[in-house]
Amino acid sequence: MRLEITGLTKRYGKQAALNDLNLTIHEGGVLVLIGPSGGGKSTLLRVIGGLETPDSGTVTLHGERLPVTESGLLAYRRANGFLFQQFNLFPHLDALRNLTLPLETVHGQTPEQAKATAEEALERFGLLAHAHKRPAELSGGQQQRVGIARAVASKPRVLFLDEPTSALDPEMTAEVLELVQELAEGGQRIVLSTHEMGFARAVADQVAFLAEGKVIESGPPREWFENPASEHARRFLSKVLRYL
Amino acid sequence: MTASRRNWNLIAGLAIVLSFAAFCFLIFSGLRGGWNWQGPWEARELLFKGWKTTLWISLSALVGSLLVGLLLMLGQRSPLVVVRWTCRLFLEFVRETPLVVQLLVGYFLIFAPLLSRPLDNIGWDEKLIIGIILLSLFEGAYLGEIFRGGVESIPRTQWESARAVGFNRVQVYRYVIFPQALRRVLPAVAGQFVSLIKDSSLLSVIGAPEFFYQSRVYVSKSYAGLEAYIPLALGYLILTAPIAILSHRLERRFRDET
Repeated sequence: MRLEITGLTKRYGKQAALNDLNLTIHEGGVLVLIGPSGGGKSTLLRVIGGLETPDSGTVTLHGERLPVTESGLLAYRRANGFLFQQFNLFPHLDALRNLTLPLETVHGQTPEQAKATAEEALERFGLLAHAHKRPAELSGGQQQRVGIARAVASKPRVLFLDEPTSALDPEMTAEVLELVQELAEGGQRIVLSTHEMGFARAVADQVAFLAEGKVIESGPPREWFENPASEHARRFLSKVLRYL
Repeated sequence: MTASRRNWNLIAGLAIVLSFAAFCFLIFSGLRGGWNWQGPWEARELLFKGWKTTLWISLSALVGSLLVGLLLMLGQRSPLVVVRWTCRLFLEFVRETPLVVQLLVGYFLIFAPLLSRPLDNIGWDEKLIIGIILLSLFEGAYLGEIFRGGVESIPRTQWESARAVGFNRVQVYRYVIFPQALRRVLPAVAGQFVSLIKDSSLLSVIGAPEFFYQSRVYVSKSYAGLEAYIPLALGYLILTAPIAILSHRLERRFRDET
């Protein structure tokens, strides 16, 4: 994955969620964003996921500048996948329809193709038995897995995951993380934010540490976890790793 | 239910039935001359014609008010502030002035001078058409507010997820927001439709030959009393009751679904 971000700034009122953020990634399929809450992880994901336009700065993904027009962003979102913490699924549709609807209406598949694609995706993640359940009948972990299945069913170039397990209990967290790891091993390019440090270390090719709207430092996970360069990251790690 | 509660229920029920019966007795014993159903029966064609006109007005205004309501809702969510304010202003004006005044002003001052001749030329009843337009605007303003409430009650996460899967603006509304909002606003919309049917009786002030108007015509010709108004009440009930029943049924179905 080649990602270049320069001078990215996004303000909500007076609060700068991203403050002149810079980040360059040359290689690696999985980028993990780590850092304290309110440090800008979500906002960064939303901007590079095409859901939010920055106030200033540029993002270049695989040599292409992130579009600024609404129609450009729409095409960009259609080419990529995005998953939020929770409530990703449409509650009035069953799991299968949650997958087939975008395939038909956004990606131009026929109903038969969409059904085949969707069932294949559900099957792959062991969710086929739940195809005809509504989101309310699924556990939180199952909901997230269906959400991921929906996001990858259209073969996205990059999959963006914003704290995909933050709303789940430990057992469900494990089942979702396993799935993400499986995708990563299958070659899916992923940018995700998480508070699961063990998982971050295992799955990441690159980590970026964000705080106060900036990338404080970035690099391969082994080096960063063993020996973070900044005082800020050291303090953060000593806190979050204390009980591991 | 406990035994004592059941007893009290029985006593309360009896009391209500008895006082209602006494009330009816007082009213009806005060009537002179007794019943005369001959009159309404002879006027049945006139009354039925009026009832059919009311049905027609209601159906047309129902479609019309849905369109107006939808437009007002979308207008209030427009990115253009001028459009938002115009819709808001129109909506407040319509909701905060009496329908009778709107009908009189709308008919005599605005639409009749504009539309009378062209409608006459194509052989349409101008009073009906203009009445339907005015009624649609009035009920549409209420529907606009109901729709807006429904759409705004859908959580932010649903809008975001819909954008994230790549739906465009129209698709977001069509596939995600409307189906969910519809379930929430259905009881209120049904209530508004019931109001619409009843409000259509006010079109008599501009002389639209609907049910209430024809009943009045009959009463003034025959000096009939209660015999004319009971069919009137029943006639409206036949139109409104199915909507109320349907809405309760749909409400239950949607609730079971989610």
